[in-house]
Amino acid sequence: MKQRKKGMIVWLVLIAVLVAATIAIGPAAGHEDVRIAMRDAVLHEEGRVSLFGIMDVNPGLIAAVVINATLLVIAALIRIFVIPKFTIVPGKFQLVIEQIVGLLDAQAGSKTPGKRSFVGAYIFAVGVYIFLGTLFELFGIQVPTTAGGTVTLPAPLSDINAAICMGCLSYLVIVLGGAMGAGFHGVLAALKEFSLPISMSFRLFGALLSGLLVTDLVYHYAVTSYVIPVAVGVIFTMLHAVVQTYVLTMLVGIYYHEVSEKPEPKPKKEKKQKKLRPRQSVQAN
Amino acid sequence: MPLNIDWQQILLHLLNFVILAGGLYFLLYKPVEDFISKREAYYADRQKDSDRRNEESQALKAEYEEKLGHADEEIRARKKEAAAELEKAIRARNAEAEAQAKEIIEQAEKAAQARRDKALEDSNRDIRKLAIDAVEKLAISSDSEALDKFLDEAEREVRHD
Repeated sequence: MKQRKKGMIVWLVLIAVLVAATIAIGPAAGHEDVRIAMRDAVLHEEGRVSLFGIMDVNPGLIAAVVINATLLVIAALIRIFVIPKFTIVPGKFQLVIEQIVGLLDAQAGSKTPGKRSFVGAYIFAVGVYIFLGTLFELFGIQVPTTAGGTVTLPAPLSDINAAICMGCLSYLVIVLGGAMGAGFHGVLAALKEFSLPISMSFRLFGALLSGLLVTDLVYHYAVTSYVIPVAVGVIFTMLHAVVQTYVLTMLVGIYYHEVSEKPEPKPKKEKKQKKLRPRQSVQAN
Repeated sequence: MPLNIDWQQILLHLLNFVILAGGLYFLLYKPVEDFISKREAYYADRQKDSDRRNEESQALKAEYEEKLGHADEEIRARKKEAAAELEKAIRARNAEAEAQAKEIIEQAEKAAQARRDKALEDSNRDIRKLAIDAVEKLAISSDSEALDKFLDEAEREVRHD
């Protein structure tokens, strides 16, 4: 009991010393100004990373490549070692995989006409990519920049290029769905929603960038780097991941369903009945 | 471009995502969907099979209920038949018993009649013998003519019987 108390006191003292030291020492010489840091988080003018030595790209693209590689390896491992052992009554891990596939696939809607498996597969890929891509920033993987510093790999969709790619691709899928499901009418219906790629792109970009900026801001100052990141960095990021995944997959599912539905044929107009003359009406009565 | 929009990087993101989407489709989505479909088909088959069996058992139940209904009727008819046969047998037995009793009574009556006739005959004979003995005794002691006459008369009566 005494030992536990001693341990707790040491731990608290250590925390107090570290906090005091961090505040007392202050920022290092040449520390990046917060305005520059925020600007660079949006525009990536300085913090660019080399892509296999071929070209300099935004850190978001590197994050996307890392996520892609990791996901494909995990998927391959699951395909080789887990899926062949699937049983009619699922185990825990099988249940988790089936639930993930089922949940995202359900966003495609069970009554979606046309190629339902196409939009189902797309929504599954998009959902997994957005969810894990958003959570990826929690790992805080550091990579060297071409300018000589280091940068933390952000969520890929906090890069405007990734958000535009995702928004436009989703719109393209919706247009394709309209063409496959309802032909020319479907394409027209999809084209009517011309603002969709912009809204989808900037919704993703805005949501994820705001999260990134807030996190960056919190970590920029030593004082706010304690306790607060637990809420801001972890809980908000997790909420973000769920909400953004849900929003984009739901929008794609709804619009896809809407444009791929064949229009109902208009009912033929009934011929107007001749009005009975007064004499005829009397006879009829 | 404003906001550092770079078409090359957009295409790179697109390429990256297309690779990811294809990989996930072939490695995860399709196998899992296929498995789920197979399981749904398996349970649909089982449901269909159990529905068919249920229908069969319902039909069997109806058939047996019908048979049971007929069995009750059959049992009732057999019971009726058995009761009629029993009644008939009882009547026959009673008639037989009555006939036997009648025969026994007739035989007994006949036997009794024969015994009575014999007893009467014996008593008559004894009476006559006693009368003859008495007359003989009287004759010895009285008139012979009257005796002869009486004896002749008695002999005539005996012959007549």
